[in-house]
Amino acid sequence: MGSEAIIVFFLAGVVLVTGANFLSNLISPKSDSDAKRAPYESGMTTIGPTWVQFKVGYYLFAILFLVFDVEIAFLVPWAVAYKGIGAIAFVEVLIFLFILGLGLLYAWKKGALKWK
Amino acid sequence: MDMETLLLLRQEVSLLLIALVLLLFEIFANDRNRAGVVSLAIVLFGLHTALGFMDMKEGELFGGMFRTNALIHMFKNILNLGVLIVLLQSAEWVKKELIPQNRGTEFFILMLSSLLGLQFLISSGDFLMFYLGLELSTLPLAALAAFEIYRMRSSEAGIKLILSSALASGITLFGISLLYASSGSIYYAELQGAISENPLTVLAMILFFAGLGFKISLVPFHFWTADVYEGAPIGIASYLSVISKGAAIFILMILFFTVLKPLMHLWENLFYLLSVLTMFLGNLFALRQQNMKRFLAFSSIAQAGFILLGLITGTTLGVATVIYFILIYIFSNLAAFGVVQAISTETGKEQLQDYEGLYRTNPKLSLVMMLGLFSLAGIPPVAGFFGKFFLFTAAASKGYYFLVFLAVVNVTISLYYYLLVVRAMFLRKSEHPIPYFTNTVYMRIGLVITVIGILALGLYSPIYDYIYALSSTLN
Repeated sequence: MGSEAIIVFFLAGVVLVTGANFLSNLISPKSDSDAKRAPYESGMTTIGPTWVQFKVGYYLFAILFLVFDVEIAFLVPWAVAYKGIGAIAFVEVLIFLFILGLGLLYAWKKGALKWK
Repeated sequence: MDMETLLLLRQEVSLLLIALVLLLFEIFANDRNRAGVVSLAIVLFGLHTALGFMDMKEGELFGGMFRTNALIHMFKNILNLGVLIVLLQSAEWVKKELIPQNRGTEFFILMLSSLLGLQFLISSGDFLMFYLGLELSTLPLAALAAFEIYRMRSSEAGIKLILSSALASGITLFGISLLYASSGSIYYAELQGAISENPLTVLAMILFFAGLGFKISLVPFHFWTADVYEGAPIGIASYLSVISKGAAIFILMILFFTVLKPLMHLWENLFYLLSVLTMFLGNLFALRQQNMKRFLAFSSIAQAGFILLGLITGTTLGVATVIYFILIYIFSNLAAFGVVQAISTETGKEQLQDYEGLYRTNPKLSLVMMLGLFSLAGIPPVAGFFGKFFLFTAAASKGYYFLVFLAVVNVTISLYYYLLVVRAMFLRKSEHPIPYFTNTVYMRIGLVITVIGILALGLYSPIYDYIYALSSTLN
């Protein structure tokens, strides 16, 4: 592979990005009205200012959900391959679940599950 | 997983266990015994550090993703020792600031997670493990830098660290992907014979190096350093300046000396240029700093430039001198940071002019600071002199006389600003000197270890011989 390949790769990247922007600017229909600049919220006219702060509780719940997300992502391949790997894998998964469970317990103790 | 596997992973498993024990403690703690976490963490980590000195077998795990040998194991011990000192020096701050807010345990858990990441990073046998380690070490650090959430500067430090390290990881990852594209493997062992000089690998090497350059804060990538050090809690700044920088230099050295060795005639020039830039910029900016943390930040940038002098050689001598210098640098920098930490925790003062007349009120602290600064500057009786001297010898042995000359010029510049601090402490008088105070036991132990390190490492030569013997296993 010579240096031409890199130059072509680089140029292709530049052309793709600028070209896509240029084309979409060129052929897209343009309309300008107050309604277009207004913040979008489920198709309705928004009520009040849109820069409100969301409750941090949503965020905490989403993060806690991640614990179970990771858990299932690893448990499914483990369950599929279980027959081939035997008892030692069972213990390993128990350790894994224990660590994740500890994390959940910790968040619980810290009051992340309370809706204040 | 059998017993052999567990033994190869000993350091990592024990770190993980400590973190879990601390988590359990936090779950069952109540308001009365919560402060106990400081002692628990330090005692457990001290035990971990001591156990680390037991011999370890060489081997590979997970199909070559993880590997360990005597050299890597020794460097893990150096990192452990450094973190132990950082924890000891931070203990009082944790007790004072974090325990009342009920956030003390998080500090220890995040710091241990970051160290765990660094240990995986330096033990990596392929680029996947390398990247996982890099991320595991960086993400907790961003949280730690923003740990004083009610101070705006601290949040700023966290944001700056996470943004610049995200950019750096992205660049590194792109470099890795180009390496993979040119050779078809991510395993170091397979890459070693497969790399030849062509434009793709050269580009890959430069990008990969740029990403690690952020961690080491070499000059074109140093912009985050001073702001993050100034804003972050002092314990985190010292961790960033010695532990994560040291680990990054170590893995950089391993990769460039083995995997990327065929490109050596190219990266020699790269290192040469960046070394000169880093030394001059770090030193010239350090001259005019008034804040002690910013001052130490620029001094640590300059020290990174000196370290490149050893890396440029590509020989066993280079490996040995770099590791020896990092070991000394950990002790010297932590001595200086420790004193700044002690004074800041007690009085909240961090400016250079606050240090005027310190010798009259706190003679012991100012002596420790003086030793640390002398060692950083490289003044003969203390260890820093030998560290720098060996680095220069290594560079001169490959014929880089002009580079060594530039480095000596820089040592002279750095001497000026290190002595400025010493002059402020010893010769200046102040209307409002920092009043006398006594340090806690942990802080004292933390400072005494650094003093012993600074004095003993320069005088006790078997340590260097030991490092040299292990280094020859790399090439």
